[in-house]
Order: sequence, then C-alpha cells, then structure tokens
Amino acid sequence: MKYILLMSGTKTGVEGYHAWSQKDRDAHMAVLQSIGKELSASGEFIATQGLTGPQEAKLVCGEKDGMPVTDGVFPESKEFLLGYWIVDVATPERAYAIAGRISAAPGPGGVPTNMPIEVRRFPSYGEGKT
Amino acid sequence: MKYILMMNGTKANWNEYTKWSKEDLARNTSFMRAFSKELKDSGVFVATEGLAWPGEAKIVRAGKDGEPITDGIFPESKEFLAGYWIIDVESPEEAYKIAARASAAPGPGGTQGSLPIEVRLVMTGALDPSL
Repeated sequence: MKYILLMSGTKTGVEGYHAWSQKDRDAHMAVLQSIGKELSASGEFIATQGLTGPQEAKLVCGEKDGMPVTDGVFPESKEFLLGYWIVDVATPERAYAIAGRISAAPGPGGVPTNMPIEVRRFPSYGEGKT
Repeated sequence: MKYILMMNGTKANWNEYTKWSKEDLARNTSFMRAFSKELKDSGVFVATEGLAWPGEAKIVRAGKDGEPITDGIFPESKEFLAGYWIIDVESPEEAYKIAARASAAPGPGGTQGSLPIEVRLVMTGALDPSL
C-alpha cells in the first residue's frame, strides 16, 4: 500500500524554522536523512521531495486571454506543503509509525518538533471507478 | 526547474465532486488523461498521483514514548491535497501556463473549470537516499 506523508506549515512556522541555529537545523536534517536511508534499506522508500519556501508559491486559476491568472496572496492561516515522503508499506500502522518518527525529529535544543504529519493513501489503480 | 502543481480542496469541495454526473466525471477524467499524455509527449512530465479521499486522512504526531499518536479530526476549512503533477520546465512562466491548463479542466456540463492550482518550486533532493 502506498502512502504519502505530508509535512505542512504556515509562513510563521517556516520563519520559525529559519530562526533555528545551524546546529539545530543540521541535527534535524541528519535525522530525516537517516530515516530516508532506513526506508531505502527496508525497501519501503519510493520518493521524497522538499519544496521551496511559501514566499514563491503561486495560485493559478484558469486563464484569461490565453495567459494564466496567477495570485501570490494567501491567508495567514494557509498551510503550505513543505515536503513529503512516499512509502510502500504493508499496513497503515507502519505508515503511521514512520510518520511518528518524522514527527519526532529534533528541533531547537534537540527537543522533538512533534510536527503534525498528514498520512494519505494512494488508491490502487482503478479503485473507485464505476 | 522542477515544479509541483497541486490540486487542493476542502471536504465540502470533495462532496461536490461526488454529485457530478457520470458523464461529467468521464469528461473530466479523459481531459486529465490527455493532459498527462501531452505532458509526457512534450518531455516535461516527472510524476502524477491522485490521493485517496480525505475521509481516511490521519494526522500523526510523535508521542513521548516514540509511539505515533494518530488523529482523524480536521477543521472544516482544512484543505486536503487531492492530487498533483510534478513537471520539469525551463521557467516559472511555463509552469504557470501548464497549471492554467489543469485549472481549466472541464467541470459539470462541460463548462471550463477554474480550480485553483498551487504551483511550488521543488528543491533538489537533499533528503533523497537514492541520490
């Protein structure tokens, strides 16, 4: 079963992360990297990506005169995707356990961030079709 | 430059979609298939996925003992990722153009849609163990 683990945050949250010390950021990234390596070794890893900051985000709504209509203004409460992992696991519980590990990655002073990780399943091909 | 184009919607938006007629759904699906094929043919396609319904979505946080704490309750206003495309293009403008095409996918009765598509630049994979 394929799952996507989504890490999201508001602009304020991203600014908070940028205020972390380099040492705290390195420790955080080192844990995320080791989780990636473990998933790769166990054969559960499919993909991971980090996204650039929300300041470059654009919303595109249709086109006018053949040109895309873009907007870069978002509500303060808007949650932006920061990055994701796609894993292929035997059970939903295993997906939750991996999400828990990511959530436990260290923040400032080595304290776990406890960031919420949204866990979503990819339907298998053809599912739900009538 | 890799961009991710994301379709998001609230549970209310998803519920609207379930009310579409079979014909409307089929028209939308065939548009999406043709769109992906076109992206592949033009060499910008990297990946696309659709996600299962938000009804099964869970939020996971690490507990004190390292056990995952799961929660399935979300605010009404919560936007759920419905699906995405990852494309590899030369400029942000090209990404916006492609996003506008996806945004204009046909809605009920074949009317041109204007679904908001969020366009984000993807970083090169610092966390990817296969790189």
